[in-house]
Amino acid sequence: MKERALTRPHADAARQLNLSSALLALSVLTDSGVEHYRGSFQNRVMYVPLGVAALTLGAGVFGMAQPRLRRHAARDSIYAVAAATGAAGFLFHAYNISKRPGGMSWLNLFYAAPIGAPIALTLAGLLGKGAEVARGHSIGRLAAAVSAVGLAGTAAEAALMHFRGAYHNPAMALPVSVPPVAATLLGAAVCAPGPRIGRLARWWLKFTALLGFAGVGFHAYGVSRNMGGWRNWSQNVLNGPPLPAPPSFTGLAIAGLAALRLMDEEAHTDRGVRR
Amino acid sequence: MTDRYPGYDVLAKRDSPSWNEQTRQVIDERLAVRADSHRFFTDEEWPTIVAVCARIIPQPQQPDQPVPLAAMVDLKLFENSGDGYRDSRLPCLREAWRRALRALDAESHKAGRVRFHQLPVAGQDDLLQAVQDGRSNDPAWGDMPPPVFFSKRLLHDIVSAYYSHPRAWNEIGFGGPAAPRGYVRMDFDRHDPWEAAEARPGLEEQARRHNARIR
Amino acid sequence: MPEFDNATDAPRATGGRAPDVFRVGGWVPMRQYRDDEVVDFAIVGTGAGGGTLACKLAEYGFSVVALDAGPYWRPLEDFASDEHHQAKLYWTDERIVDGDNPLQLGSNNSGKSVGGSTVHFAMVSLRFRPEWFKARTLLGYGVDWPLDWREMWTYYSEVEQALKISGPVTYPWGPHRPRYPYRPHELNAAALVLAKGAEALGIRWTPTPLATLSAPRGLAHPCVYRGMCVIGCATNAKQSVLVTWLPRALAAGAEIRDLAMVGTVEHSPAGLATGVRYFRDGRWRFQKARNVVVAGYAIETPRLLLNSASSRFPDGLANSSGLVGKNLMVQANQAVWGLMEQEIRAYKGPPSLAITEHWNYDDAGKDFFGGYCYMSQGPLPVVWSGTQSGKRGLWGQALLDEMQQYNHQVGLKIVGECLPQERNRVTLTEERDQYGLPVPRVTYSYCDNDQRLIRHSLRFMREALEVVDARQIWDETDDTCHLNGTARMGSDPKDSVVNADCRSWDMRNLWICDGSVFPTVGGVNPSLTIQAIACRTADRIRQLAARGEL
Repeated sequence: MKERALTRPHADAARQLNLSSALLALSVLTDSGVEHYRGSFQNRVMYVPLGVAALTLGAGVFGMAQPRLRRHAARDSIYAVAAATGAAGFLFHAYNISKRPGGMSWLNLFYAAPIGAPIALTLAGLLGKGAEVARGHSIGRLAAAVSAVGLAGTAAEAALMHFRGAYHNPAMALPVSVPPVAATLLGAAVCAPGPRIGRLARWWLKFTALLGFAGVGFHAYGVSRNMGGWRNWSQNVLNGPPLPAPPSFTGLAIAGLAALRLMDEEAHTDRGVRR
Repeated sequence: MTDRYPGYDVLAKRDSPSWNEQTRQVIDERLAVRADSHRFFTDEEWPTIVAVCARIIPQPQQPDQPVPLAAMVDLKLFENSGDGYRDSRLPCLREAWRRALRALDAESHKAGRVRFHQLPVAGQDDLLQAVQDGRSNDPAWGDMPPPVFFSKRLLHDIVSAYYSHPRAWNEIGFGGPAAPRGYVRMDFDRHDPWEAAEARPGLEEQARRHNARIR
Repeated sequence: MPEFDNATDAPRATGGRAPDVFRVGGWVPMRQYRDDEVVDFAIVGTGAGGGTLACKLAEYGFSVVALDAGPYWRPLEDFASDEHHQAKLYWTDERIVDGDNPLQLGSNNSGKSVGGSTVHFAMVSLRFRPEWFKARTLLGYGVDWPLDWREMWTYYSEVEQALKISGPVTYPWGPHRPRYPYRPHELNAAALVLAKGAEALGIRWTPTPLATLSAPRGLAHPCVYRGMCVIGCATNAKQSVLVTWLPRALAAGAEIRDLAMVGTVEHSPAGLATGVRYFRDGRWRFQKARNVVVAGYAIETPRLLLNSASSRFPDGLANSSGLVGKNLMVQANQAVWGLMEQEIRAYKGPPSLAITEHWNYDDAGKDFFGGYCYMSQGPLPVVWSGTQSGKRGLWGQALLDEMQQYNHQVGLKIVGECLPQERNRVTLTEERDQYGLPVPRVTYSYCDNDQRLIRHSLRFMREALEVVDARQIWDETDDTCHLNGTARMGSDPKDSVVNADCRSWDMRNLWICDGSVFPTVGGVNPSLTIQAIACRTADRIRQLAARGEL
């Protein structure tokens, strides 16, 4: 990673990574809040992701708002903790799945702790870290790669859950088709950068970001669709499609867009330097 | 018998999403049955059936009004609501009960020269046990085998009446009516906030607080 | 609040419309036929057999009137969360039971509703083991069905799609089957006990394929796990005939007549069915039909055929074999119960969320013919109190103390194959019911093979509970489920009542399409097979009609 001075667009892109991290952290905070409440916080450690996600969210907001664009030690450590907590959560969830009768079976993948969900916290940590590092280094391509992997992984998680729902509504195909295309285009932009690929990737990422918001609407419709609708919220918000989950696509898409900006800026500055 | 679900009352959920309108109407009707009402059993038969119910389901005395079992059985017989089948060894529902009450009084006369309801409680239990075990043979039973009446009619009608009453649901910690709101947490040792908390040893107060808050 | 018009007081399917079960207070248009209009098919009973057949025949363009003695429920509005009140779903008209092992009827196995017993059934939707269709030839007991399992396999798929069965992604037993349309349900604690026990004993288990939704479908809601399936599903998650085949039937132009009790099937001097005599709205009526299908399930079907005896057919209709009413089969429904240290609260969720068919497919070491599956249980308070008192014999303080353990209760219950025996039968008595029709007598006794199967299952299930540290384990020995066999199908008119197409040998326009036609009963719940047979029968009728052989 090359050291560099900070241009204005570069700073904005770094802040955008803070935003994406904050969005992911918000999604994790609310989603794990609801799901761990549903799990009755049976294991005390289930409180940890809520606290860490809250801190990560705070760090992201702070990172976006801060006028001096410098790395901050507290934010740095929070992001590191977030990444580690997500990884630990993944192991906890995998253990939860495998210890039930049937082990790693479809049934347990559907109904035990969701295997991919904690990774959202890791992504929030990694992207937040990227926001910090971007303040002094060229990490555009790395950020793009992380975003692409994140989009693909989140799409896989949505695919699993929508498979559980038997794709009963055609719209359920959207989060398993649109984000993977965005991820592929983002990956292509990393490997073979060019203006056309860049434009196409941006378009798909913006579409994906919108889809994340639309997803909340779809899930709200899904909650109202269950017996008793919103009046039966005490059951349907827990049982129904998770309202806080889709915005993680928005967070990752925004990270992808930020990464593209960083890549452009870094290439531009490189060319400037070489000239 | 300990209070395993202290402070739990399914009626607290009456206006929650756990009850629907049809359920409210049905349970209201059930709760409105008056303990002294009897339109099928005669005044002569009434003390006998009351005493039998009190032995099959011994309910503690006040402060709460006990579940009006005899009246609920009376209602079933008044409406002549059958179950859709009758063991060929039994006469029809109404005749079976009338004959049985006469037979119980006849048996208790043999034992203690009093009617069934006038026997001491232990004597009533002994007599009922004898009926269940097939040791009762007074001619008043006729061709109806006492043990068959006991298990298929007597126990069936009285016990089902008790466990169809909300107070019995509270006692056993049953979730009660559940439509449109059903249940979310179905795993071991888990319950939803609107279910009864069990008073495990040392956690009675916690359970009571939980149950008091149920909506 | 819509006015509660009471479904049991007066018929609802009148005036050119029928209740829309998906919309509160809603109606769908219904084509109506006059009684003196000769319809192609008059179907008696709208359950798994009659309701499915009514749909398929109407969709194939036949004119259909389907009559049911029961009310036309609106599940979203009419169903209360109360066991006693919901007895309105069952056949509670008087029947006499005798034999060595008198049966429990009513709520146990007999429905009286438009939609039949599927309105209260537990939704377990299993396919026959293929060999059972040739039980005599391949397995050495019972009789052979005149049906090929490969043909039935495609009809099973049709039914599973129609009901959007929620089942496991892969099924552990039998030949390949297409993936179930919806995914399986989450297991409750009672089902987890079955799963753990099975794993400890080294046998396979599976989430049960259930006819209740794990995701939305059209206007129907997914299951809310209220656990009151057998007293009526108030969310329409349960895919009963009432909310699946019948709405399609109505859309295809069939008429459904609720609160219509058929008393006799009438026939011409030439010996062909002419229609059905039925009681509705205060008086007896007669519906003319080119074909009559009897689909009243295994007690009402023979009752109707026997009661339709005439001078030409003194032994009842379709009875030259003498087998109408005979070979009544139930399935063994014994259980083993125990208490767990953990809270189970089995009242949540469908009663049987996990199942093992191990003993349907593995014959090693059996001292009996046939097979059984066993499944987890979740009895509601009234029925559970009946098990503890009437069956186990508890009363007084002992009963109250035992019932306090309700939330720690677990159980495993079989659906076990009982053999056909001619002595098990449905006959008519001299008593009369509220319609003036003869009350039926239902006679049943186990045979030695049945007893050996039961003993084997109780031993095995006991072990399956011991191995998960259940305590105070006890056997419930007095229970049966389902009813089949009283008008069985076969290839020989001397030995059966109907042929493979469910067409009676004696009367070419009299058909029987329900569980009565089973020659053997297998070790799985019959509803899926009954519906598959109905789909096949509809296809055969269409073929025969096209060839002018109807």
